[in-house]
Amino acid sequence: MFNFLNNSNIFVWIERVTNFINSIFFVLLLVALSFALILSPPDYLQGDSVRIMYVHVPAAWIGLASFSCIALFSIFNFIFKIKYLTLITKSIAPIGLMFTCIALVTGSIWGQPTWGTFWVWDARITSMSILALFYVMFIAVQKLISEEDRANKISSLVAVFGLINIPIIKYSVEWWSTLHQPASIKISGSSTIHSSMLTPLLLMFFVLILYCALIFLMKYKTEIIRIKKKNLKRYD
Amino acid sequence: MINEIILMNGYGIFVWSSFLITFFVCGVFYYKTRKTLKKYEKEFAKEIEELSIKQKKTVLENSKIASKVLSSYNKTI
Repeated sequence: MFNFLNNSNIFVWIERVTNFINSIFFVLLLVALSFALILSPPDYLQGDSVRIMYVHVPAAWIGLASFSCIALFSIFNFIFKIKYLTLITKSIAPIGLMFTCIALVTGSIWGQPTWGTFWVWDARITSMSILALFYVMFIAVQKLISEEDRANKISSLVAVFGLINIPIIKYSVEWWSTLHQPASIKISGSSTIHSSMLTPLLLMFFVLILYCALIFLMKYKTEIIRIKKKNLKRYD
Repeated sequence: MINEIILMNGYGIFVWSSFLITFFVCGVFYYKTRKTLKKYEKEFAKEIEELSIKQKKTVLENSKIASKVLSSYNKTI
């Protein structure tokens, strides 16, 4: 039943999906950038600086979602011992770290025109910085511990422990008095963002998700080859 | 029109630097990931080539991935 999940089939699918993403990526990127930088209106309060949102918010979403995935897969891995999950978490972590850092940097740049400062130890920004630290710990454990099983166990523990930080990031703007504005887009309940701004935001999010998929597939492919390379030594 | 897009009422420096940083980092990360993948593919293909004919045959029969990597490597050289 799960025959399609073997590495050979996954490898073939990775090539197909990568080619498909490559074929549509630049067109979509161009459309998304046109909306984000030219077609969307300036904000009545923040003016054109609001356009930073189109890279800042998707980056933050991806940073949060990636860590949640890593933590959930780590929990599943503890319970069911599925080796693919370790490969998946290892491939996601650098992407998540990169987007968390992008969210922090672009947020900092956005802070200057809106708050008058690049950095403040605000609850949202601090908790996002802690998320970046958890990513660093997760990756460092994978890199520094040579014994693979031990590295996987410790990095999974880091991910599960770091999961506590996710709701803190999400609700930090409600629990504490912060400079950071509350969420404008809600999955449940009505969003407070106009459709002329929501469209470019979702477009940019979609483009960055495609980019993540591309990177993830390349990293996953690298991991499969690394394992195959190790197995090849049996023939020596 | 172009001036308006570049200057963005004084916010251009913040908006453009955010976008440039984001896409620069993404570009570098893409390049590095691709380079690592190609390096592994090359090393893997080379190791297969170095096996004896019998071993090579066994590997290629047992592993679809090995034959795929080897054929794409042979195409590039």
